[in-house]
Amino acid sequence: MDLPERIGARLQALAYRERKAAWLRLGTDSILMRAGGHLEAYGLGELRLGEAALDQAWFLEGLLPVTGGPQIVPSLELPGGRVADLHLDPDADGVWVVLLDATAERDAVRRVQQKAYEMTLLQEKEALLNRRLEASNAALLATQRDLEASRAALLDAHEKLQAQAAELASWNRTLEERVAAQLGEIERMARLKRFLAPPLAELILSSGDERILESHRRDIAALFCDLRGFTAFAEAAEPEEVMELLRAYHRALVPLIQSFEGTLDRFVGDGVLVLFNDPLPCLDPALRAVRLAVAMRDAVAALAASWRRRGHALGFGVGIAQGFATLGQIGFEGRFDYSAIGTVVNAASRLCEAAKDGQILVTARVADAVAPLAELVELGPLSVKGLSRPLSAVDVTALKSDAGAPASPAVAAGR
Amino acid sequence: MSPAVQRKICLLGGFSVGKTSLVRRFVQSVFSETYLTTVGVKIDKKTVELGGRSVHLILWDLAGEDDIASLRMSYLRGAAGYLLVADGTRPSTLEVALSLRRRVETDYGPLPFSLLLNKRDLAAEWAVGEAEFDTLRRAGWRVSPSSARTGEGVEDAFADLAARVAG
Repeated sequence: MDLPERIGARLQALAYRERKAAWLRLGTDSILMRAGGHLEAYGLGELRLGEAALDQAWFLEGLLPVTGGPQIVPSLELPGGRVADLHLDPDADGVWVVLLDATAERDAVRRVQQKAYEMTLLQEKEALLNRRLEASNAALLATQRDLEASRAALLDAHEKLQAQAAELASWNRTLEERVAAQLGEIERMARLKRFLAPPLAELILSSGDERILESHRRDIAALFCDLRGFTAFAEAAEPEEVMELLRAYHRALVPLIQSFEGTLDRFVGDGVLVLFNDPLPCLDPALRAVRLAVAMRDAVAALAASWRRRGHALGFGVGIAQGFATLGQIGFEGRFDYSAIGTVVNAASRLCEAAKDGQILVTARVADAVAPLAELVELGPLSVKGLSRPLSAVDVTALKSDAGAPASPAVAAGR
Repeated sequence: MSPAVQRKICLLGGFSVGKTSLVRRFVQSVFSETYLTTVGVKIDKKTVELGGRSVHLILWDLAGEDDIASLRMSYLRGAAGYLLVADGTRPSTLEVALSLRRRVETDYGPLPFSLLLNKRDLAAEWAVGEAEFDTLRRAGWRVSPSSARTGEGVEDAFADLAARVAG
């Protein structure tokens, strides 16, 4: 070394003192031969010379024997906290072990390194957080895309539903129209059935021509019938009994009216008005009326027998007239009737009034029409209320054989 | 009673994976949240009893491997075995451990070692899947989770390695 002896000695003293130099001399068998320097600084204050170095300076484990040239193990922190640079300098008789304090240098390096590592850790955490954030963003975007797709699907479904709803509304309208049409038809049918035999009412409806119901004049046969003694019976009897009797009476008459294809004009208590030749024309209205009257008389006679058994003396009378009358629907929306107005109706009604129990009184014209088929008894002129001239009344006592069958089917509707 | 033996064991791994904390947990049974980086090497000693024999483990806690400070391979001279340590919450440290293992094997040949995936207590941040564990185990590695904070897996890992290096 190119150092003056004094400077060299000075540096040696400085290194020894400042760097806490300590040394060990080991033999070739790693036995501790000698030691010196600042041994306490490295926890080596109680060394036993002549014993194995590895049992005392155990940090040398694995480092012995030293092969090759001098070696340095830098920055070795011992349990006491002291940091040393460990120098191993072998020679032919063993190895010199020198410890030089490096605590200050280690601390200086550690301060820098600590900052750098902390910074790196922060960056790693930031990167990790960024990755998680990006993953969350990606998940959110995916969710948003899914939501948009769902929304589009919902809108599509909504539009389809609206289209279906519109279609349904259209079907509903069609259905309502059909129902209204059918209801109208049912209503008309019901109306017609009130005064026409059901097959005839259906015939008119199926033809679709209701002009037949408009007001018009026609030559018709009018039959009026009622019960003798009914007024007195109604005054005396309980209303329920009166109603029950009337129901039985009507149940007996209506099928007959229908079977003879008469037009039931109206019921007024026990009074019943039936028309022939309107609204459906027929060739023999008087004969049909008489046949019906006879059938009615027979039917009511059977009923009257049972009434008599219950103490009710009720008879049955019929009046029949033929002539022109004005016919058509009368009434107002919701309450229409098909009716006939004219002297012929009054005549039938008055003849009925005049008839005794079991009598069928007809006008001369009717009698003429049925004369070949009926047993007749002329009663002569009969003055009746409401008519200026007396009526020539004829009593139809019976029908000749083969004259009582129901009429042949009606002629097709129309005038 | 068999005579005591003394073995040098090294701890290797990336920085801040918990090597120093594992040694403190093993030697002193304590844990500190404060992170203090190791420079060079920190030496400690712990004696374990194995089958009636004392094994003095001389523990060399080596500074973490990173971009700033590369591992001084000479520190491993004379080591009987080593523990590779990785941080289970930082997958990159597993790569560092695998790299260190290759370098040790290149320089010193096959030595007994185990891999500890440390910081197991941070379950919410755990980032190493079971698949990686299985892959390494199938390759014959001894891999186990550990926590210097709770002590999980620490004693077992050192005792297992001690048994393998004691001879």
